[in-house]
Amino acid sequence: MIKNYLKTAWRNLISKKFYSAINIIGLTIGLAVGLLILIWVKDELSYDRFNTKIDQIYKVNASIGTGASRQVWGNVSAPVAFHALKDVPGVINAVRIIQNYNYSTFRYKDKILRENGNNLAFVDDSFFKMFDFKLLKGNINKPFINDQSVIITERTAKRYFGSVDPVGKTLMADSKDPYTVSGVIADFPGNSSITGNMLFSIDRKRKEYDGKDYWKAMDEDWGNYFAQTFLQIKANESTKAIGEKLTRIHFKYQKSKSSDGVFQLQPMADIHLYNPDGSAAGIQTVKVFSIVAILILIIACINYVNLSTARAMLRSKEVSIRKIIGADRKQLFIQFIIETALCFTIALLLAFILIYISMPLYNKIAGKQMHFDLFSANVWQVVALTVIATLVASSIYPALLLSSFKPISALKGKISGAGNASFRKALVVCQFAFSIGLIIGTIIINKQLNYIHTKQLGYDKEHVFALSMHNMRDHYTAIKAQLLTHPEVLSVTASDNSIINSSSNTGDTDWDGKDPNTTLLISPFEIDKDFLPMFKVQFIAGRNFTASKSDTANFILNETAVKITGIKNPLGKRFKLHSLDGTIIGVVKDFHFASLKETIKPLIFSYRPTGDQMFIKTSGKNATAAIKLADNFWKQYNSNFPYEYTFLDDTYNAMYKTDQQTGILFDIFAGIAIFISCLGLFGLATYTAQVKVKEIGIRKVLGASVANITAMLSKDFLVLVIIAFAIASPIAWYMMSKWLMGYAYRAQLHWWIIGVAGFAAILIAFLTISFQSIKAALANPVKSLRSE
Amino acid sequence: MIKITELQKYYRTEEVETIALNKLSIDVKEGEFVAIMGPSGCGKSTLLNILGLLDDPDGGSYLFNGIEVADFNERKRADLRKHNIGFVFQSFNLIDELTVFENVELPLIYTGVPASERVARVEKVLDKMQIMHRRNHYPQQLSGGQQQRVAVARAVVNNPKLILADEPTGNLDSSNGNEVMELLTDLNEQGTTIIMVTHSEHDARYSHRIIRLLDGQTVMENIMI
Repeated sequence: MIKNYLKTAWRNLISKKFYSAINIIGLTIGLAVGLLILIWVKDELSYDRFNTKIDQIYKVNASIGTGASRQVWGNVSAPVAFHALKDVPGVINAVRIIQNYNYSTFRYKDKILRENGNNLAFVDDSFFKMFDFKLLKGNINKPFINDQSVIITERTAKRYFGSVDPVGKTLMADSKDPYTVSGVIADFPGNSSITGNMLFSIDRKRKEYDGKDYWKAMDEDWGNYFAQTFLQIKANESTKAIGEKLTRIHFKYQKSKSSDGVFQLQPMADIHLYNPDGSAAGIQTVKVFSIVAILILIIACINYVNLSTARAMLRSKEVSIRKIIGADRKQLFIQFIIETALCFTIALLLAFILIYISMPLYNKIAGKQMHFDLFSANVWQVVALTVIATLVASSIYPALLLSSFKPISALKGKISGAGNASFRKALVVCQFAFSIGLIIGTIIINKQLNYIHTKQLGYDKEHVFALSMHNMRDHYTAIKAQLLTHPEVLSVTASDNSIINSSSNTGDTDWDGKDPNTTLLISPFEIDKDFLPMFKVQFIAGRNFTASKSDTANFILNETAVKITGIKNPLGKRFKLHSLDGTIIGVVKDFHFASLKETIKPLIFSYRPTGDQMFIKTSGKNATAAIKLADNFWKQYNSNFPYEYTFLDDTYNAMYKTDQQTGILFDIFAGIAIFISCLGLFGLATYTAQVKVKEIGIRKVLGASVANITAMLSKDFLVLVIIAFAIASPIAWYMMSKWLMGYAYRAQLHWWIIGVAGFAAILIAFLTISFQSIKAALANPVKSLRSE
Repeated sequence: MIKITELQKYYRTEEVETIALNKLSIDVKEGEFVAIMGPSGCGKSTLLNILGLLDDPDGGSYLFNGIEVADFNERKRADLRKHNIGFVFQSFNLIDELTVFENVELPLIYTGVPASERVARVEKVLDKMQIMHRRNHYPQQLSGGQQQRVAVARAVVNNPKLILADEPTGNLDSSNGNEVMELLTDLNEQGTTIIMVTHSEHDARYSHRIIRLLDGQTVMENIMI
């Protein structure tokens, strides 16, 4: 029987090529795009879950500061892990991961390669036991032989040593410090929040951080929040209680205010998608994309249901015959389910091909390394769930409708299409409502991205490139003077911080009238006298540094710092930063020194021209010459380091790379949703023109013009699109307003966005329908009347 | 075999109620060949649909082999229909996507006949209908007469007790029409009961008895000698 069903289904597909093509193309694109998005979603949701102990692993975060300057940091001080293991009974294990920015190049024999500090980390020995990162070579019980050992990833081993066994070989860091490879770890999975190329023993860090200078020893210094700390805790232990216990230990060892260093535990499973304070980070995009995937799949299903039910009238005769000669409803139901399944199978195979072809481009746009491996359980789970859901959604209604026909009525063509026509109209409205929603979403996302791109940041970053000085730092004044003799170089300055995205904060401040129970978190910038003029940061009071000796005890604050501290008439007032008690000599207008997702935070400039970051402003035309000039000095002082510089515009754009990727993907998905919707509308318009062929013929004989006929055929569909617009626009507006709330600074929403979306949808729908309408209107009426 | 008593059928619209069958009573014995005639709208097709369990009566009784079937639900009707009744229509009503063989095989599939047995039975009936040479053709590749022979083959492949024919020669020329009537007569001679609706006096003469309807009632019965 199944063979007979498949045979009929196949022949139906072949004999109705036009409708079959529309159905299969719509389903193929819908399934391909839906699956691509859901694979992305699955990848995002799978982060860190390869760790078998993930349910027991928590990251320790710290709440710092009070009032408007309160923040939750993802790093804590080093003693937290030490005391958690020693003094908190529920803690089984603790791991610290501390970035190692000490080195930038490593050499093996003649091969010198650059390593970014973000890929180098000091870790506790327990790292290899708590997490499931496989130590391929080395001793898991003693991974680092001594504090001069390093463990490298497989890929890193290949880069430096090729096929030679790296264990026991020496890597020379910055041509001065030798490290012996004591192990090789499998490359970090693409869906790991913890990544890197080289792991160093935390003993090495402890040795550097020995308490013999300004800072205390590493395991005693509660004031430096620099260690990512993971705890493995016993099942059913209260994470809240552990956090409170750690906070109490902190206050016991460091007599700080109750607002500083309040520890809280975040499940490791959450760290990729949620901020340390628990607010949504990537999960928002995951949710948006999941919705988009579901909408696209629904749109594709609606196409199938609409075309199948519209054409049900044409199949009523076949259904009747089958019923008359003995088919019961169940058999017919199964037949139509199998037809849909066949259509789906073809579409799914084509979708797989499409996914394979588009995966490299998709990975490039999404900035990921996803693989479409049909043998992977992850992929199959997504595929199976998507296909079953869409198959059920697409097959049941048409099968129920077709199998419900009363045989004799259907045979005589007396089936009323009114009921399912209304249902079809509702589905078209639904489909276009989703599409219009996506258009509105796309316009608003693009508008926001454009806003970020063009927003006045309050400083001028144009034609400025930055480099880390390394050994040039000791000769900064001389180099600066020489650079400024060249007309290509307009200005040179230095700082210890990035003006694009400052990440450092301190709560170690004081001023007259400060409430002792509050902590102000402020971003400190150590700059030279040309920093503020070069970036054209505006003063609203006071003056700039002059490089005089007294400037070392002077401070410049931003407006927000003045507002939050509540210092009235700040010029000449006392301000203390760390151990330096100084005077406020200026207040600058607020400018954006971090992502536009954040509000402007308090900031303090102090005069210390010893920062590692050098900024060179060039005249736009001679940038290459300026870069070359800087390179000459680089070669002179930093011959061991490869020359590297970045333009601030690029750094700024990189900060919003994820948003831009999201924007591009959203554009593509919205376009596809519209395309699939139009494909369905095209099919319906064709069907309508076919069933109304006699009416069109009669109207033409009676004098109707092509325009009359086109209007008659298009009107009904356009009304549906307008209804869809009326439903979608307020909902999309509301949802996108909520999305924009994630940005502290956002583009204004204007009514024209809605207008453009509506106009675009109506225009696209009209163009889609009018092709068939005009074709029907131009047909010779004699032919249609004769055929009737 | 068939006994209908005071059978009633109405067609209602919002404003008008039309009586299709007005307390009609008819008996058909097993092995009979009955022709039903009458002007358009007299209720003959309605009667055939009710006899074929394709439509419900609004009143009266319908005994099929002594069992009251007037109040059967759709599942029971489908079951009774597929095992006992074959249909032949004026417009053939073959499924365009299936070949001759597959069209004839379909009733056997629905009654769950095993594949090996189906082939033998279909071939036998195609042979009998002299259409074997067209077994792999699609309906649109056949002449009207050939299509109707396929339709008859399909109607008889399950060895039904009753064949209901609705103007079986209506779309055929006289030569093909006669051939189809000969086929029906042969089937009847082999024991199959046939009830045929027709406008044609010529075709009606093949039957044993003619029932003439008017306004949903029997107005005359002719026994053919």
